[in-house]
Amino acid sequence: MSVIKSTREQIPMRIHGIVPALSRIAAVAGNTVREAGRNRIFYGVVAIAVLMLLFSMVLSDLALVDQKARLVQDFGLFMVPIICVLTAVIMGVVLLHKEIEKKTLYAILPKPIRRGEFLLGKFFGLCALLFGELVVLAVCWSAVLALRGGEMSPILMTALGLAYIEIVLVTAIATFFSALSSPILSGIMTLGLFICGRVSYVITDLMTATKGVFVDVAFMRWLGRALVALVPDLSTFNVADELLLGWTIPTDYVLSAAGYGLSYAAVFVIAGLLVFERRDLT
Amino acid sequence: MAILKVDNLSKTFRTGLLGRKVEAVRGVSFEVPAGSVLGYLGPNGSGKTTSIKCILGLIQPTAGRIELFGGRHDDPLARARVGYMPEHPYFYDYLKPTEVLDYVGRLYGIPRDIRNKRIPMLLERLDVAHAMDRTLRGFSKGMLQRVGLAQTLMSDPDLLIYDEPLSGLDPFGRKQVRDLLLELRAEGKTIFVTSHVLSDIEHLCDSVVILQKGVAVAQGPLDELLLPDKRESAATLVLPATDDDAREGAATQLASIEGTAVVKRKDDVLVLSLPTGKVEELTATAANCGARLVELAPQRDSLEELFVRKALDTDAAATSGATDQGSAA
Repeated sequence: MSVIKSTREQIPMRIHGIVPALSRIAAVAGNTVREAGRNRIFYGVVAIAVLMLLFSMVLSDLALVDQKARLVQDFGLFMVPIICVLTAVIMGVVLLHKEIEKKTLYAILPKPIRRGEFLLGKFFGLCALLFGELVVLAVCWSAVLALRGGEMSPILMTALGLAYIEIVLVTAIATFFSALSSPILSGIMTLGLFICGRVSYVITDLMTATKGVFVDVAFMRWLGRALVALVPDLSTFNVADELLLGWTIPTDYVLSAAGYGLSYAAVFVIAGLLVFERRDLT
Repeated sequence: MAILKVDNLSKTFRTGLLGRKVEAVRGVSFEVPAGSVLGYLGPNGSGKTTSIKCILGLIQPTAGRIELFGGRHDDPLARARVGYMPEHPYFYDYLKPTEVLDYVGRLYGIPRDIRNKRIPMLLERLDVAHAMDRTLRGFSKGMLQRVGLAQTLMSDPDLLIYDEPLSGLDPFGRKQVRDLLLELRAEGKTIFVTSHVLSDIEHLCDSVVILQKGVAVAQGPLDELLLPDKRESAATLVLPATDDDAREGAATQLASIEGTAVVKRKDDVLVLSLPTGKVEELTATAANCGARLVELAPQRDSLEELFVRKALDTDAAATSGATDQGSAA
């Protein structure tokens, strides 16, 4: 069947190939970052996180003199990733829903962009935004640490790097559920997976114990095995205990943890793409 | 050759917990030839937007075939030659018009230098240039509509698909949009447009498809559809002003021509409906009795009349079908 050629002088367009596809993904990602950059709620979350870091300074006054920096360090190490994870959940679960509800998607998807490219653009845009948030909070944290006589050591930087892998993984989970269901359900599922992921090592311990429900009850044994097999072990990215004990974090561990986290993230994003490709946008 | 070809398109949704079937579009077929304007009409819920969503790949048809530019309708190369504006053109309200067009241009893979040239030109053409530094958040419906139209023209596409482009606009805004559509038509663009403002569509379209409850109840070139009886003409005559008897005599003589009906009579003006074959007899009679023929036009429905007639026909058919079934039972 012949394809009609336009008789007019065409505007040059680059549609096929890797580079144009990457360019479209970058355009969507850039727009996602810009959206958050003009969103007061995002700034509100960052402001609250900064205030909490400042509050840790007040808390540290209650600690012994040689423990002040330690308290600020532990507080920051817990709070900075958690705030970023919560931002990932809040923004991730509405990633597509907002586009559908506000009908902005209907003007974009009929353009020569594949659905997968659009979803990847949203995902990478959110990851870039969360990286920016993590950097801002890390800078504030290091300032507070410096005021209390501590410093942003390389091991703390490594801990933040691992925390970012966890944030990317949670963003991928939120993106998957966003492509699948409503924001409330997506939020519950993403937070549920996050909590399960954070405590999955406990389930592993319970399953290897000599007795207990995860050993004695067949259904719980099966459930425990399923959880451990399917849910990513997010404790992999938490090195607070190593920091507390003053241990170093081997490069091999960091690389394998990054590979583990990014592989899981890729699985969730690909699953999200498959769901989104088939979804009717009514 | 057809730029857009839809063959036997059907779309069924499942709603509710029990998955009740709703047939939004049933076996619709039509073609949009290059350079023509097709009006896709129907009341709310008749399946217009569902059809457009199928054409653009936003939803998957349950059955049927859609071709764009002779190829697959979901091919990005085909979609690169389509400009689409949804019924409610919501764009990212945190963006400025220039940013919207730049974003759209990037999605089309248009090089930056060409984007930079086209954006001010399009904003100027659509009369939005004065607001290019404001975000869309504060834009009126009419302004948003114009940004929506501008983004459809970013890639200078061959096919434009507009879903209710005149909806919600004030008379001035409607005129502006209508004028733009006429300009685009004059430029040779192929346009697929839905609208409730039938009088505007009537002047714009070459052909129409009328949907009722998901079924195409009428379709074809507008001139053919609006001439339900091509044999009928309307004649306007001025009767002789000499005296009342002469005037009444002339009126009686003219009205007595076989097949003629008086449509309107006011003082010395007489409007008759008559078979087109009787025009010569009318001219001769008018000359004999001193009346003057001032206008002769073939009779035609307005698009609105056609639309209402088809809607009523479909309702009547549905009622009669239901009654028949009831009687049979």
